[in-house]
Amino acid sequence: MLSKNILSDFPALSRTIKGNRIVYLDSAASTLKPKPVIDKLSKFYLENYANVHRAVHTLASESTQMLEFSRKNFANFLNSSEHEIIFTSGTTMSINLIVESLVRSKMLNENDIVLTTLVEHHANFVPWVRLSKLHGFRVEFVEPSLRFGTLAIDDFLKKDINPKVVAITGHSNVTGQLIDIEKIRNIFPNSILIVDGAQLIPHQRIDVKSLDIDFLCFSVHKMLGPSGIGVLYGKSQYLETLEPFLYGGEMIDKVSVEDVTFNVLPYKFEAGTPNIGGIVGANYALEYLNNIGYDEVKKHILDLTKYAIEKFRNIENVEVYGPLDESHCGILSFNINGIHPHDVAHLLDEKFGVAIRSGHHCAQPLMNVLKSQSRLSQFPNSTCRASFYIYNTYEDINILIEGIKRIKEWFDV
Amino acid sequence: MYNELIMDYSKLKKYKGKIEDATKVEEGKNLSCGDEITLYLKIENERIVDAKFEGIGCAISQASANLMIENIINKSIDEVKILIDNVYKMTRGEEYDKSVLGLIEELKSIKDYPMRIKCFLLAWKTLELSFK
Repeated sequence: MLSKNILSDFPALSRTIKGNRIVYLDSAASTLKPKPVIDKLSKFYLENYANVHRAVHTLASESTQMLEFSRKNFANFLNSSEHEIIFTSGTTMSINLIVESLVRSKMLNENDIVLTTLVEHHANFVPWVRLSKLHGFRVEFVEPSLRFGTLAIDDFLKKDINPKVVAITGHSNVTGQLIDIEKIRNIFPNSILIVDGAQLIPHQRIDVKSLDIDFLCFSVHKMLGPSGIGVLYGKSQYLETLEPFLYGGEMIDKVSVEDVTFNVLPYKFEAGTPNIGGIVGANYALEYLNNIGYDEVKKHILDLTKYAIEKFRNIENVEVYGPLDESHCGILSFNINGIHPHDVAHLLDEKFGVAIRSGHHCAQPLMNVLKSQSRLSQFPNSTCRASFYIYNTYEDINILIEGIKRIKEWFDV
Repeated sequence: MYNELIMDYSKLKKYKGKIEDATKVEEGKNLSCGDEITLYLKIENERIVDAKFEGIGCAISQASANLMIENIINKSIDEVKILIDNVYKMTRGEEYDKSVLGLIEELKSIKDYPMRIKCFLLAWKTLELSFK
């Protein structure tokens, strides 16, 4: 457990629903927000807020300083430079930005190969598939060969290709598997390496320089911060030459009827008024996590995962997806034979106060993989998913397990 | 939501399967969970004389599909359209004609579960699609 007691920072956890206290196990979708972060953000909106980078008055100066301070902290966090930190609306926007900018800059051309995997969530899948149809580059997919959607490093070696781009998640949002980015980089030393860090960054510090990552994307709402704000790290050598994805105010240098020149990095990629509160709030969330300590955050989540996997082993007719070793972190997808995930999730909420996610988790290609490997009498094209974060306890998992056992009794499976 | 009638109807086998000589086959999808349904209708003289469905789904979607089929067999297309209209009104929490719905009304609390309305409506949307 965490050395610091933080549960009182999350007032939602002291609420009860139909007599049961809320057990929040849906952090992979979005985390709860700590009161200290909200209080600071509230103070910012009440006392400091104005538009940024434009006016010369006091409030504008304060807002601009706080926004740029956030950029500085995220740059330190990733071991990058400030001008390599671009604020977007989230992971999905970041990946769309990268793909579109690569194509516009002719860095991704007809017949170039993009390598991704079948475990990606749609944000790192759909843009590649769709834009390959429009622009003629080719997408190859690594198929997971180990148990229930688990990728092996050998799966990447099977592909005898020289991809221009390797776009891969650092942590699967369904199987909970952590991917060894260093090994992937070593297999593809010359490819543009894009890491979808949406699930990874909430519990792990990443050094983009030592891992030689070219682009890294993540969303702040999965790490205690506001929604609608994300971070895109891009190596400056690429950002300098890439054509922007969004055109408009602030990203320009000189504008005339003949043409436009662009602002310096990172502003070249931040058209229009940014999500100022989101960026400032992102920094407060980062500070909150840094105060706890990232190593402690990760250890806590791994401890909970290990405990949950052991508990699940003792329930009959339940299939747990992903790996069973220490590469399984924080996200536990499962199905109960004969009960649809929506029924499980609905009843866990209604009868036990347990909030889990059910559905295809925006990872339909992976659902097909799981379906082909499943031993259930009928795979429902979706799974139940319990995901853990800093505010969860062993007791939460006990309540989940008890709920599952009771639901099995009701459905007689 | 999960009362005895709904649980019983979710497990019903009577209306599950394929109709080989169906006059209309329609497929429906629930994008939120990947559930799919194939609805088989046998329509003669503007009247549904038989109906069945294939596909897997949650208890709510299965109970809804079974109740739907039970309530459309031997009804004219026009009667079914009135039924669909009242079902939609029920899910939106609007006034509806109780006499038309019968046992389907057991699912009326679906209006309080916005995330489950898609499950409940999967079969009904597919049925509606088959008339277009």
